[in-house]
Amino acid sequence: MPTIEVRNASVTFTARQRRTVSLKEYLLRGMFRGSVNPKVAVHALADVTLSAADGDRVGVIGHNGAGKTTLLKLLAGIYPPTAGTCRVDGTVCSLFDIALGFENDATGWENITYRSYLQGDTPAGVRRKRDAIGAFTELGQFLDLPVRNYSAGMRMRLAFSIATAADPEVLLIDEVLAVGDAAFQIKAKARMKELMSASRLMVVVSHDVYTVVETCNRVVWMKHGRVVMDGAPQEVVDAYLAEVAGGAVARAA
Amino acid sequence: MFGHLAATWKFRHFLLSLVRLDLRQRYRRSVLGIGWSLLNPIAMTVVFTVVFSNLLGGGDPVGYAASVLAGMAVWGFLRDSALAGCRCFQENEAYIRQSPIPYTVYTLRTVLGQAVHSMIAVGVVAALVAAYQADPLALLRLGLAAPGLVMALLVAWAVATLAALATTFFHDTAHLMEVAAQLLFFLTPIMYPRKLLDDKGMGWVVDINPGSWLLDVTRGPLLTGQLPGADVYLTCAALTAALILLAAGAVGWLEKRVIFHL
Repeated sequence: MPTIEVRNASVTFTARQRRTVSLKEYLLRGMFRGSVNPKVAVHALADVTLSAADGDRVGVIGHNGAGKTTLLKLLAGIYPPTAGTCRVDGTVCSLFDIALGFENDATGWENITYRSYLQGDTPAGVRRKRDAIGAFTELGQFLDLPVRNYSAGMRMRLAFSIATAADPEVLLIDEVLAVGDAAFQIKAKARMKELMSASRLMVVVSHDVYTVVETCNRVVWMKHGRVVMDGAPQEVVDAYLAEVAGGAVARAA
Repeated sequence: MFGHLAATWKFRHFLLSLVRLDLRQRYRRSVLGIGWSLLNPIAMTVVFTVVFSNLLGGGDPVGYAASVLAGMAVWGFLRDSALAGCRCFQENEAYIRQSPIPYTVYTLRTVLGQAVHSMIAVGVVAALVAAYQADPLALLRLGLAAPGLVMALLVAWAVATLAALATTFFHDTAHLMEVAAQLLFFLTPIMYPRKLLDDKGMGWVVDINPGSWLLDVTRGPLLTGQLPGADVYLTCAALTAALILLAAGAVGWLEKRVIFHL
């Protein structure tokens, strides 16, 4: 049974002023003179507790930098908790950063195969759904070309078609995906709805509070990496909007 | 460690399809295809043979050339695996940021690509030896070298994983490894026989060099058809196990921190 169990989880990054450190600097400055590239601790998630069970549709709202995407990446297993625990049972499908990770010198068809394998498919499974994915992209003969020749929109179409061809128990979605032109967006929205209703447990991060109220049975409001409120969608969204409006009034004054 | 092996098996189709892609790209970029990739070790062997065969090869230029080419194939595999391992996490960053599969899959991708490449060179050596000795059965020596080649593969995977982890935290690792590889090349009996150092009382330089032990269990059987003693195999196996344990320990210690440093 798909479940999510997050207990007092924190994710703390250690950022440095300069991106990387050399071994030379580490040995000479770090050991003897104090580093000129100091560490800064960034608390992306702080003491988050969240649980969700089969049938839950959880929306996550909050300002930019509130920790929504970090929470999703924690649930997907990409970020490990630096404190606390995070346990997700069930097959997971993550819909974020999907346009990344193409093999540019490989064709669209080959990338469909690689991505499907990455999602845990077997060769038989890939053979079964390969044509359907190709058809959904509407990229036709472009699928025979290396992906480096694709436009950003075409890459997004390909990525979306592969990512949403999964049959997940736990679905993790970041923001509303703007995919391709108007005609494809209608198709993409229909596919998303289909996927959302097919998945048994869903966590969706969005700035569109109205969509969240419409599609979720529970909403989590996050602020500075912490869960501020967790409850019925309308109640949490109203509280969030009241704070946003209060902030706007304060700024205007 | 077993979790990583299980995940590697689970994602074997992903891994192998990317290895195939890497090899295709590598050989498609050049007019000579696979021949181009052999040009470097063959050119080096020709130069070494012309310059050093009389000095170091005991007056047997063909035997010397075969020995150098086999040595270069094994040594080149270890060196290239380590150096490519340094870039491994950066090159696979997009996958790492998308999917929580163990990072060791990506270092294995690098090492398997290098292994196929080096096996072609090893195959060429075996074919040349068989042709020179007019004995097709000499090709079967590849089987005798197989245990050594498997150990070399495991060592390369461990070293590439350690190099990838080190580069994540210290960006100058690749540069330092290049310097170290250059030094080790001259301390490994590739272009000179081990006896040369033994005669000068410097055999210990070879004894403490892991690369030379691996050469003993690969190059020796391949060229002469004779297996080294059990003690050599045991030393090699112990060395391989130690490196695997070191890499597994480093992965266990650092794997949860890698994503925050990419």
